[in-house]
Amino acid sequence: MAEHQAILKADGLSKRYEDGVLALDRLNLDVGPGEIYCLLGANGAGKTTTINLFLGFIPPTSGSCFINGIDVSKDPLEAKKYVSFVSENVMLYGNFTARQNLDFFARLGGKTALTKDDYYRAMRRVSLQEKAFDQRVKNFSKGMRQKLGIAIAIVKDAPAVLLDEPTSGLDPKAAAEFLEIMTELRSEGKAVLMSTHDIFRAKEIGDRVGIMREGRLVMERTRDELHNEDLNRLYIDYMESAGQPASA
Amino acid sequence: MWRTIVKKELLETIFSYRFPLFAVICLLLVPLSMAVNQAAYAKRVRDYSDQVRLTDEAAAAIKIQDIMAGTVAIRGFRRPAPLSVFTQGFESTLPRYYEFTQDGFKPGESATDDETILSVQGKVDFVFLVQMVISLIAMLFASDMVSGEKESGTLRAMLANSLPRDTLLSGKIGGGFLALWVPFLLAFLFGAVVLMFGAFPLAGGDTAVRVLIVLLATSLFILTYFTIGIAVSTSTSKARTSLVAILIVWAAFQLIVPRLGDMIARLAHPVRTETQVSLQKSLLVRSLDTETAKELGRQYDLIFKGAPEGAANDENSPEQKKWDPIRDDIQNRARETKSQQLSAIDETYLQERRRQLDLAVNLSLVSPSAAFARFIADVCGTGELERAKYVEAVRSHQKALDNELFSKVKRTLMMHEGGGTSMSFSAQPVDASKLPRFTITPATVAETLKANARSLISLFVWLIAPFAFAYAKFIKYDVR
Repeated sequence: MAEHQAILKADGLSKRYEDGVLALDRLNLDVGPGEIYCLLGANGAGKTTTINLFLGFIPPTSGSCFINGIDVSKDPLEAKKYVSFVSENVMLYGNFTARQNLDFFARLGGKTALTKDDYYRAMRRVSLQEKAFDQRVKNFSKGMRQKLGIAIAIVKDAPAVLLDEPTSGLDPKAAAEFLEIMTELRSEGKAVLMSTHDIFRAKEIGDRVGIMREGRLVMERTRDELHNEDLNRLYIDYMESAGQPASA
Repeated sequence: MWRTIVKKELLETIFSYRFPLFAVICLLLVPLSMAVNQAAYAKRVRDYSDQVRLTDEAAAAIKIQDIMAGTVAIRGFRRPAPLSVFTQGFESTLPRYYEFTQDGFKPGESATDDETILSVQGKVDFVFLVQMVISLIAMLFASDMVSGEKESGTLRAMLANSLPRDTLLSGKIGGGFLALWVPFLLAFLFGAVVLMFGAFPLAGGDTAVRVLIVLLATSLFILTYFTIGIAVSTSTSKARTSLVAILIVWAAFQLIVPRLGDMIARLAHPVRTETQVSLQKSLLVRSLDTETAKELGRQYDLIFKGAPEGAANDENSPEQKKWDPIRDDIQNRARETKSQQLSAIDETYLQERRRQLDLAVNLSLVSPSAAFARFIADVCGTGELERAKYVEAVRSHQKALDNELFSKVKRTLMMHEGGGTSMSFSAQPVDASKLPRFTITPATVAETLKANARSLISLFVWLIAPFAFAYAKFIKYDVR
């Protein structure tokens, strides 16, 4: 991906925590418009740290990350205007209805003029059942919450989407629906960075797949490169071997 | 953005189980406490009116012989404070009256004699509810506003947007406080309606202004405790830890610090009771009177020794002419000495009290609760300021009675060297209907504010400091 096109970009991004653990080691990656980048790796590989750095929740030890060309460290508020975030367990306000949650997060995302119909449209798009629209979220299943989380991202309509293990714990049907929506987002030109353990779906949906190990990106393959490769085998190999930084 | 956060906090609180519980507590207890205290106030006012009427009747019937016999004791009653419906303060512990005699004044019994078991358990009034119930609920409401949202992950979801942290924090405080304040305000207004139905003089004098001050100060007090709760919440990462920390902080501010301040002040500057002081004054008066009587007897014996019979009863006898100025001089000096020494006792006592009070106040200002209670008690006329005004009025009334009543009779008691005693009187007419009435000039609102400058500064600091602390913490709060 050419540099000027990247919506999400990490440039020599490193993070060492206060306890001395090097969580991320000189990460370089970029995600362009209409591209889904899947980050694979075991727990503690640095996937979530990467997302936390993009969201400005933690400062980098060195390097920079950019959203839509804006350095997150320098102007986090401006940078976050251009990104939506969906976490593993979509966190919502249990006593609010689905629409109230959607309305609240849409307003936080800067969408203040949306109507009830806009919200209903977004919820229909993620295949949330109609009867759930005005129900309190506290009784929603994980799949329903995940759908609502994506609806929030859709409503915000940011050019970049960060997903932290979004299919974890979803049933196959819900996971399939989720991937369908991701495909739609890609077709709308969104840059999607998704951390996941799900090798099968990463191969299925990812335009590029990176494997992280001990804070480093040890492998990166495009969809075409993966076409004739066994990603599962590759993943296991990289996890077992001492990783080397991937070449750009 | 701020309004979005406020609305969300408001709705989230309203939808929680805590809100209806709090609303019910407020709407039941606040008006109920006001109604109960109003009934008690009305009873005290009736007692006061009856007592004043009886005292006036007794004063009108005073005869010069009673004064000569030294049996006149006039009572000056303190009118119950109407705003004691909000806080009892010293209302039940102040003497209901003072008794004025030619030898000085002494306190009567306090109003606690007709109280119920509540005297032992502690009274439930508006300020008590605010201090012990609403402040705790305010802190509990705030306990999970940051740490709870971190734990549930919603804080992360919010801050993944272009949302400044200071906006989020102030929105949380604004919305959370509003959810607390509205039920409280409704309860307060409901209580005010209950009072008005009970013929409470809410619109009389500056009462309305004082009630508004009570409302404003209480609202700020609740906000203070709510912000302290938020500050605790920003210092922890788990809602349960916040809860425990909040209970400890609340107990320290509400129960420990104010009492500790008082205890330290009592230990550092012990003060005698008012009854002890009265006793000391009585003993002094007796001792001085005895000395004066002995001096008079000695001088009398010197002058009239060897005088012709009847010289003592003859106004024109040379002995009598010599005796009159000497007697007057001795009595005037004795009166002056007595007055000086009694004033010195009073002054020493007041100084002791002032020193103890100053220390207690300064120490208790560490707690916003103590500052609040002192301020509201003074605004409602049941605090330290009222006590000082009461004492001032008592001293002033004693002087007025001395001038208008007790000085009209001059008793000359003499103790002769041989052991015998004799007494003579001279009296001027007294118009009992023109005797001064006992009144306490209440502190004005401006005086009250001025006298409570330290409490107000403490409340102001407590309003700002937790917010500043919470802000500093939240800006760096780890939301992961």
